[in-house]
Amino acid sequence: MSWETYREVELLLLHEAELADSHRYAAWLALWTRELRYWIPCNGDDADPQRQIAIVYEERPALEERLYRLDSRFAHSQRPPSRLSRVVSNIVYDGYEPERGGAVVSRFVLGEERRERQTAWIGRARHVLVREAGALRIKEKKVWLINNDSPMGNLTFIL
Amino acid sequence: MNLHAMEWAENRSQPAIDALVREGRAHSAIYTDPGIFELELKRIFGRSWLFIGHVSEVPAAGDYRMRKMGRASVLLVRGEDGRVRVLMNRCRHRGSQVCESESGNSKMFRCWFHGWTYENTGKLSVVEAPAGYGAGFRREEMGLTPAPRSAEYRGFVFASLAAEGPSLPEFLGHAAPIIDLLVDASPAGEILVDGGTHKTVYQGNWKFIGMDGYHPNVVHASVVAAWKRNAEFGTGVTHREDPFVDEARSLTRDLGNGHVMLDFREQRLHHYEAHQAFLRNTPGGERYIADMRRAYGEARARLLIALSGDPHVGVFPNLQLINNQVRIVNPIAVDKTEVNMIAVRLGGVSDEMNIARLRQHESFYGPAGGGSPDDAEIFERVQRGLLADVDPWVDLSRGMERETLGADGTVVGRITDEVTQRGQLRHWRDLMLRP
Repeated sequence: MSWETYREVELLLLHEAELADSHRYAAWLALWTRELRYWIPCNGDDADPQRQIAIVYEERPALEERLYRLDSRFAHSQRPPSRLSRVVSNIVYDGYEPERGGAVVSRFVLGEERRERQTAWIGRARHVLVREAGALRIKEKKVWLINNDSPMGNLTFIL
Repeated sequence: MNLHAMEWAENRSQPAIDALVREGRAHSAIYTDPGIFELELKRIFGRSWLFIGHVSEVPAAGDYRMRKMGRASVLLVRGEDGRVRVLMNRCRHRGSQVCESESGNSKMFRCWFHGWTYENTGKLSVVEAPAGYGAGFRREEMGLTPAPRSAEYRGFVFASLAAEGPSLPEFLGHAAPIIDLLVDASPAGEILVDGGTHKTVYQGNWKFIGMDGYHPNVVHASVVAAWKRNAEFGTGVTHREDPFVDEARSLTRDLGNGHVMLDFREQRLHHYEAHQAFLRNTPGGERYIADMRRAYGEARARLLIALSGDPHVGVFPNLQLINNQVRIVNPIAVDKTEVNMIAVRLGGVSDEMNIARLRQHESFYGPAGGGSPDDAEIFERVQRGLLADVDPWVDLSRGMERETLGADGTVVGRITDEVTQRGQLRHWRDLMLRP
């Protein structure tokens, strides 16, 4: 693949990270296709969502509901909002083709500061990207947190 | 724990504890004082029946789950003989934990300090270099120590660290038939506590996570707003017509022994038709309704279907059955609590129905749900607020003037009334006053 291909994917992931860090939910959602899945498993990396709960396992209606709540001013766990800063790196292309899209796996380190507590959220993400009318869009995002089987506090922002 | 706190707890006089709880109010020290917390571990978690796990979590011989009784790590394990036991996770030799995984299947538990090995029945099977022990060493007496008492109700395994006390049926009392409301949501009378666990933690006292029907429209305002947009969404399907106002048919109920519930039975029966219509839109829903009628008869089935397996009951001190979950409350410190929410699947229903219930659970509960994180956020605000204790009293008097005593001896109030908080605190006080 050409370096422009790599750069296009990288810029999308970085743009997505920037919008999530700054809680710009409408712009963040605009990066996605109509049909989508946003998935954060718990109890390890391989739980089957047909038999077990996830931290998040959402298609568009549930995700829109989530973003609506976060924008409603009554989501107390984001009042004040978490201050976020993430680094996305180690991008690996998994059968990705520039014309059609495909899967891209990356790693992230996300620092959160809220109420004088700093938390590090660390993990791996797999994006399924598709090209729609020329633009690269996110169809699926699955996030594996390294602590997804440990007790955790407030995870009400967007990963 | 520092020595000072321990001395304080040991020397705490009965009148001093008694003074912390009055009818309708509580001194904030019961939520903030490390000495009180130590005493709770001893007098409440050290002797009350505690929920350990459900038999469906350990279906096969060798299956185990690591759980807690206060600070004690214990194993819920099904032995080769098919019996489910509650055993201390502690080697009889020098005390190391013999199991380090949270769950799994094993024929044995081996201590990796000196190699002592126990069968999954708890029996000590291997002692390395046994010649070093004299004639007085009795291997058959050195198995993993069982909880002094354990007993089961409809698959729910409870244990107590005290050798004596009320029996499990005496302890559960009025709460037992309420537990049935979850189990009998399955036409087969079978629940599978295997739908995964949301593990959460908040920086606040364990007693905050009570049963409160006054908070939802305020704490969960964002969720309530979402339900107004779409009544068929998430847990909204079980909360038709605001059930959290004074005029609602929903009630608070003090079942005794610290067990309390938000009693939605009348409220949900009133909306039975809407819930039935919702179920009929789920594949397998029609069959479920028919199977429930066959299993329980028309009237009982109607109640069970309307409740949707949500007894909304707290069994004091560490178990709650809310919506589709078995919830375990683990006190870690006076200002730190872990809450594990285990999703339940119903036996004898369609996969689609169970999947829908898992997704409903996720929409409200867990670290990224619409509901639980806001509860935790408020509990943390309370923990901080209570430190301003010029006036140390927390008011729990709501509904005291209008609560009534039911024919069965339970205390009943409107849904917004603090009947539940008073019921828990009354039992808390009884246990804490007993040396």
